[in-house]
Amino acid sequence: MRKTLFIAALLCGAALNSVMAHEQHRMECSETAIHAMHADIQAMEDGEAKTTAMKEMDMAEDMMAKKDMDACMTHMHKAMEAIEK
Amino acid sequence: MSDLPAFRRHWLFATVAAVALLCAIGAAALFGGLFNVAADVPHSNALYWLLETARERSIAVRATGIVVPDDLADPRRIVSGAGQYAEMCSHCHLAPGMKRTEISRGLYPRAPELRRGSHLTPAKTFWVVKHGIKMTGMPAWGLTHDDEILWDVVAFLRKLPDLTPDQYRNLVEIAPKTHGETMEGGQMDHMDH
Repeated sequence: MRKTLFIAALLCGAALNSVMAHEQHRMECSETAIHAMHADIQAMEDGEAKTTAMKEMDMAEDMMAKKDMDACMTHMHKAMEAIEK
Repeated sequence: MSDLPAFRRHWLFATVAAVALLCAIGAAALFGGLFNVAADVPHSNALYWLLETARERSIAVRATGIVVPDDLADPRRIVSGAGQYAEMCSHCHLAPGMKRTEISRGLYPRAPELRRGSHLTPAKTFWVVKHGIKMTGMPAWGLTHDDEILWDVVAFLRKLPDLTPDQYRNLVEIAPKTHGETMEGGQMDHMDH
């Protein structure tokens, strides 16, 4: 019984890990992800949220150019938050 | 004065040369595959603005003169439109309580999330739903649906931004279950009027 529970927990963990990795992949600081965010921003109505998202993406791209991927991700997350407001 | 014909000849030559050069550049860009049609690489903001403005003006001009029915607030229209919307539109335009779908993420230009509202008037919305929009993924629903059904969708879209996820689900649940049912119901209603 314990063995079965252990295997089930392992399988759940693996599945969860895979989902998180998938999300991570989508939000990674890459050219493709940046293009996708720009496409989202273009479709937004003009306003504060759009301006914020554009500024955050500019900063994300600056950070990407400087190879600071963590900072790039932080700005992309902020842009995403503005897009989904 | 005697120089004028020569000046004109030079001017003509310069104009023809400029036009030929522009044509050559255009042809090189066209046949050289310079324009990237990939949907995962967005247009430049300038080109996006140009296309968006062309689209907005095209819709505005063509929607002029469309007579908007005065019963768009009729609950029967809204319920019928909810069913149509859930079936035909929600995969791309999403709905209250719905997460972004793979198709909504992949379309370019992005389909507007209509739960956030739309700046289009009912007449323009009707025109777009009926005729679709080239190179956007928006189909021409008028090829397969009669106008009254499309006005039901317009009626629902006016209500959509005010709906909570529960209200949206309830409307979809009580909507006619199949396309055929809606079409038959709609046609019978029109015959009644």
